[in-house]
Amino acid sequence: MNPVNIFPLIGVGDVVIGLSLGSRLFLIAVGLSLIFGVLGVLNFAHGALYMLGAYFALSVVTNVVDNFWLAIVVGAIAVGIVGAAIEVVTIRPLYERAESDLDQLIVTFGFVLITHEAVRFIWGSQPYSTPMPDALNFTMSIGGSQFTAYRLFVVIAAALVMVGLWLFIKRTYFGSLVRGTSSDREMASMLGVDVPRLYTAVFFAGSFLAGLGGALAAPMQSIGPNLGEAVIIDAFIIVVIGGLGSLSGAFVGAMFVGMMQSIVPQFFDAGSIAVPFLAMVIVLLLKPEGLFGGIGE
Amino acid sequence: MWLTVVDKNITRDADGIGSSTSGTGYDRRTILKTATAGAGLTSIAGCLGGGSGGSGSVTLGAMNILSGFASLYGEEAERGYDLAVEEINNNGGIDGNDVEVIVRDTEADSGTATQQMTSLIEEDGVDGLMGLDSSGVAQNIAPQIKQSQMPLMITHAATPYVTSPEGESEDSVGNDYVFRCSNTVAHDMYGAAQVASELDATDWATIGPDYAFGYDTWAYFQAFAEGMGVDANFTTEQYPPLATSDYSPYISSILDAEPDAVITPLWGSDLTTFLGQAEDSGWFDQIDHTLFSVGMGTDLPSDGSPLPEGEWASTRYDPFVPDTEENNTFLETYMEEYDTLPTYNAEGAYRAVYLYKKAIEEGGSTNAGDLVDQFSGMQHTGPVGEYEFTETNQASVASIWGEVTYSDEYESNVLEPVERYEAAPADVRGALEGSDLPPGL
Repeated sequence: MNPVNIFPLIGVGDVVIGLSLGSRLFLIAVGLSLIFGVLGVLNFAHGALYMLGAYFALSVVTNVVDNFWLAIVVGAIAVGIVGAAIEVVTIRPLYERAESDLDQLIVTFGFVLITHEAVRFIWGSQPYSTPMPDALNFTMSIGGSQFTAYRLFVVIAAALVMVGLWLFIKRTYFGSLVRGTSSDREMASMLGVDVPRLYTAVFFAGSFLAGLGGALAAPMQSIGPNLGEAVIIDAFIIVVIGGLGSLSGAFVGAMFVGMMQSIVPQFFDAGSIAVPFLAMVIVLLLKPEGLFGGIGE
Repeated sequence: MWLTVVDKNITRDADGIGSSTSGTGYDRRTILKTATAGAGLTSIAGCLGGGSGGSGSVTLGAMNILSGFASLYGEEAERGYDLAVEEINNNGGIDGNDVEVIVRDTEADSGTATQQMTSLIEEDGVDGLMGLDSSGVAQNIAPQIKQSQMPLMITHAATPYVTSPEGESEDSVGNDYVFRCSNTVAHDMYGAAQVASELDATDWATIGPDYAFGYDTWAYFQAFAEGMGVDANFTTEQYPPLATSDYSPYISSILDAEPDAVITPLWGSDLTTFLGQAEDSGWFDQIDHTLFSVGMGTDLPSDGSPLPEGEWASTRYDPFVPDTEENNTFLETYMEEYDTLPTYNAEGAYRAVYLYKKAIEEGGSTNAGDLVDQFSGMQHTGPVGEYEFTETNQASVASIWGEVTYSDEYESNVLEPVERYEAAPADVRGALEGSDLPPGL
């Protein structure tokens, strides 16, 4: 197809869908990128934490109090605590090992399996869905396509997370500690930074973001034990394209993958999977560190 | 545990050697099993200082999806196996022997399914295999089943190519050892075309999973619609990958094409995700009719977005049809045990165990060759009704479609009204004559 002819076929609706897909992907990729950028841990269990966020929110809404907003907060914090516990108990002892990268990978992969089976044990394998909050459960027509207000809310929420996190990293004292430690852990330690505690705090924050992403996505898709596996591949593609450890890279990568997933299927059946992979290969060949580099970039 | 396994292997080896169909008296499987038995005996001699096991038992191996997007299907199948095993063992077993079912997870992956199949045959020494939920897996496993010379009773996977004899078409992999007691895509689409002929809809589209099952469903639907003279145009098709988390781009493409009706074979949690997003996009306001070809498989026990009332869904078994004593008893027992209506996957699994019981008792043997002989052309009655195995080893079951209606009594969707389309092999073949698609029955 002539590229010139493609653009008139891309409607406003397709762009909104792409932004929506990208926003959800950003919410999971940013935590993954943050943890890697500061701790150097490639957290395979990040998708599992995203899934737990959805399940925790579901459980709060259905079993505790029928308040979706509270469920999101509780879900995200609970996942943050789970993540921090994983870091303290199982990852912290590995930092000093010679082959710590591989050990960390295996440990976090172990948590993928453990979480998967735990979810099946607690909630079963059947798919669940979480009701949307009433205030946002109405449809709007944009570019001839219908969208729920909730879907648009998630786009805004992702943008707010991006801005908030950027300001936090760039403008706060704690942010400067995070940036400093990610640059040189030993120097930060010698200057009095409590590195183990900072690592745990960052792992909490990354896990919190995964939980927040899962809780926010819960009303838009079915929740099942494979939810984490479905998103972790996309998240890895995004952080490779954007640059491991880069916030703006995670944002740009997520929006790129989201747009590809929205637009490409109209032209090639399997293109929504193939094109992001192709982009990742090109980035790895030409700019292995990703489009953006380093924490805070 | 060791004693049971070894004892079982010896018993079956005796059958295998005595009545092998290979002509030489030994086949690969017999030798393997003999070796396993030998190894087992050696272990026992070393560990226990000799001794022999207790009474014999029948062991069946099941392969279903127990994890991932369609794990619900495997769990439902397990319920069916468990119920059948409990009933059979409480009523004298199979020829006086207890039956045991070992269920393994295929993870909807052909490589994993192959490993599980090999392990069940060579390590667990099963007498027969059953299960399989994915068409793609079934298609890859069927040739290996032939090599292993072990009977397989498929209870769910619906690709017509596994009961289409090798050589009938490029993808045909049917052989003497592969049987299926559940419907095929051909059955389902034969009924779907009949439903389509009665609906006020001309422009049709599809959205299905991006593998053989999605493409086959659309190909067979079109072929049957054309073969049966249905006034239909086929406008657009969308094939999202399995485990897609957001169907919006695909939904948007279908809505842009403005079809009157859509047929979708989405299944498992994919269907649940799709339903919620379709509803949010105004799908059910804009599309007059949606036909869910696998809908009732997951809808019954699901807490997720249910199928909307008034749409159409097919099932391979309906808990209320036929109104026979056998079906009513099964429904009652199942509901007592699990407190939910039985899905077709549970019924298929339940029936497969009884098919093995019948074959073993009538043939007086658990030897693979004897089981295959018994299954060939077997007539059987189960909750699903009466049926027989055609010359391609496919059960002559009906195609069942109905309108989705919520039942307060069962707190679940049911099909009401529901229609059984008796998909007689001759009728199905006749309707497909103008196409190059194999009927698979």
